[in-house]
Amino acid sequence: MRVIHLKLAARNVQRQPHRTLALGGAVAFSALIMTLISSFVNGMDLAIQDNVTLYSGGHVLISGYTASWSGKLQNRFVDDKVAQIAQSAGGDVLTVSPLAQSRATVVFGTREIQLTIRGVDWTKDKLYHDSLILSKGDWNGLEPARTMLMSAQTANRFGLAVGDQVTVRLTTASGQENVTNYSVGAIYDDGAAGGMNTAFVSFGDLAADLNLKSNEQQEIAVFLQNSTGAEAVAAKISSLMSSQGYTVSRGTGSASSGSNQAQPASLASSDSLTAPLGGATQGNGLPQGNGQAQFQNGGARLAEGTVSYRVSTIQDLAGEIGSALGSIRWIGYAVFALMLIVSATGISNSYRMVLLERTKEIGMLRCIGYKKRDVFSSFIAEGIILAGGSALLGAILALPVGLGIGLIPFNPHGDFGSALVRGHLLFAPTLGQFALIFVFVTIVAIAAVYFPARRAAEVVPVEALRKIA
Amino acid sequence: MNGVRDVTAKFMHAKLTGKLSLVLFGLVLVFSARAQGGPPAGGGHGGGGGPMGGIELPLNFLQADQNYKFPDDITKYTANDFLMLVRRTDIRSSFYNSDMSATISMVSVSPDRGTFANKEQIYRRDKDDAFLTIMTEPESRKGQGMLRVDNNMWRYDPTSRKFTHTTLKDTYENSTVTNNDFRRWQRSIDYSVVNITTGTLGNYKVIIGELKANNDEVPFPYIKMYIEADRKIVLKVEEYSLSMKLLRTAYYTQYVQIGDSLIPTVQIFQDGLIPEKRSQVTYTDISTKPLPDYYFTKEYLERVSQ
Repeated sequence: MRVIHLKLAARNVQRQPHRTLALGGAVAFSALIMTLISSFVNGMDLAIQDNVTLYSGGHVLISGYTASWSGKLQNRFVDDKVAQIAQSAGGDVLTVSPLAQSRATVVFGTREIQLTIRGVDWTKDKLYHDSLILSKGDWNGLEPARTMLMSAQTANRFGLAVGDQVTVRLTTASGQENVTNYSVGAIYDDGAAGGMNTAFVSFGDLAADLNLKSNEQQEIAVFLQNSTGAEAVAAKISSLMSSQGYTVSRGTGSASSGSNQAQPASLASSDSLTAPLGGATQGNGLPQGNGQAQFQNGGARLAEGTVSYRVSTIQDLAGEIGSALGSIRWIGYAVFALMLIVSATGISNSYRMVLLERTKEIGMLRCIGYKKRDVFSSFIAEGIILAGGSALLGAILALPVGLGIGLIPFNPHGDFGSALVRGHLLFAPTLGQFALIFVFVTIVAIAAVYFPARRAAEVVPVEALRKIA
Repeated sequence: MNGVRDVTAKFMHAKLTGKLSLVLFGLVLVFSARAQGGPPAGGGHGGGGGPMGGIELPLNFLQADQNYKFPDDITKYTANDFLMLVRRTDIRSSFYNSDMSATISMVSVSPDRGTFANKEQIYRRDKDDAFLTIMTEPESRKGQGMLRVDNNMWRYDPTSRKFTHTTLKDTYENSTVTNNDFRRWQRSIDYSVVNITTGTLGNYKVIIGELKANNDEVPFPYIKMYIEADRKIVLKVEEYSLSMKLLRTAYYTQYVQIGDSLIPTVQIFQDGLIPEKRSQVTYTDISTKPLPDYYFTKEYLERVSQ
């Protein structure tokens, strides 16, 4: 393809502005829609990863389960070496901190609500300090013992203010009922945290409530520089632990119950596990409560003190929401494909008309020395300029439209709350997406123009001039 | 002679092998039945069926109670006397020699959720620590059920046709009733006596026992029992958390005698943290007729819920 072909193509595009506008508009609209869908799905992906990190407390979680005297698996373990192994898993690891959590009933006056309470070592925490926005109170308010960081949603529902006392009823790691008191130390904006309503307390306080011994913990949270490295780090931790003789399983495990209580996948034989005791469900698929399970009948009862570990990542935990996003992405692809087919049909038909309209012109061009391939190249160039330019325009137009949609507030507590950032859809276009859309649209345009271009190239000059004359 | 010996030995060998094969075949059948959750072979004992591998009672649990002589003066009760008294209430509130079925009416009041009433049918086999409940009212919840067998417990939802694991300490329908309240009593197994005093509860003279759980897996670490000494029935039980906060108070206000058993037919459960939250459970139409083994299977619950 030479410059003369491009010049001729550019002139032809300008010759019939109405047709160019109609064809280009259709292609530009397809590109705009595809850019919007792919950018929003990308943004939702990022939001889910960030929010799941907040829900879970880290990018990689190591949960430990110890068999009790009765053979029940309790979500507790004592082993400082596990934290050391996690720390040595790679340079990507920022912090390694202990976590404890429980599904609890929080009571204020005559009202009660089921919440997940997470114990966080505030001295080592980076994640929540960086991610949560406090709407009332400050981080210093959480320094005294028995203080709670509560979501604005919960606080509003109860009419709670900083300094109010709440009663917390939970189940200890071994399955006993316990009741303690906390005062509200600060309130965070849950709308800015994907609608999360987890309450946070000091790790030491919750460990005491769960009746954990001083050196016991339930989970170790590994916080990385970048969530994309979570799978690799989890694999490395699993392999390091296995090589040192630990019993380790990967993934979130599938509790045989309807509750989201998890147990090490390697132990989850369907009939040998009794119902996990205590705790209830939580929407994010995290292991809850005390993760107790018992071997009996079909399976051998575990010896007291036997410990099993499970290593999971936010990608595992985001699985369900992620698969919903995958569906949206595929719907987007289908819409895009449909639009492209319609556009391609339009382009193809238009160029058949163009061929009829320009038969005399093509004959003239052939008479003055234009070869078949020159005619063919001019047509193809025209298609590329029209479709490529339109795709570029559509993608550029998608930017203000996407940013505008990003300003619309959505309910952060709705079904897709965890896919929102501060109650808004995140518009996250990438150059790669732009390039892909541009290339794809152009290829389709070339394919659509190919047959009319070939027919144009095959026009016999004398015949063309005679017919028109 | 040797030939005869060889033939006899071969015949004996073949006979033994045949018997062994039969025994092995029988064992395979029994284990297959158990693995499929079906009723075990060899039913027909006592309350309609063989043991289903439920929680075993401690040795001598029932026999020791029969001849135990309690002090006439309630001020003379020792810790052991009180524990035996608790054991007697456990045994008498249960049906170890028969099955039990009844209709349960439940009314729950909560400041948050208002009033909720439901009715269900319960089938219990106490000697195996098994029970089955099927909701009959309200219409919208009809067919929902709960099954406890072999130390496992499930809820069944006929709409989704799914079983989900549940546990004894889970609350029932967000009320103050726990799943454990439908089960046989076994406080004398789970607890030890820490302290006993005497007092009155309304017009009744009671012995008040403070009990501590025998292990850290019993949901309520501490309980306080108020037992009327004359009739040897539990009138009130307070359940405490690990931090010694009152979690729930159970009142057993009416009893009905059926054979050797004394069944608390009206049970009131009041929440310790939100006293306005309470539930009343009433047992009616109590029957001790034997129940078929298949009642205590998931298949039956699934079938009957349709």
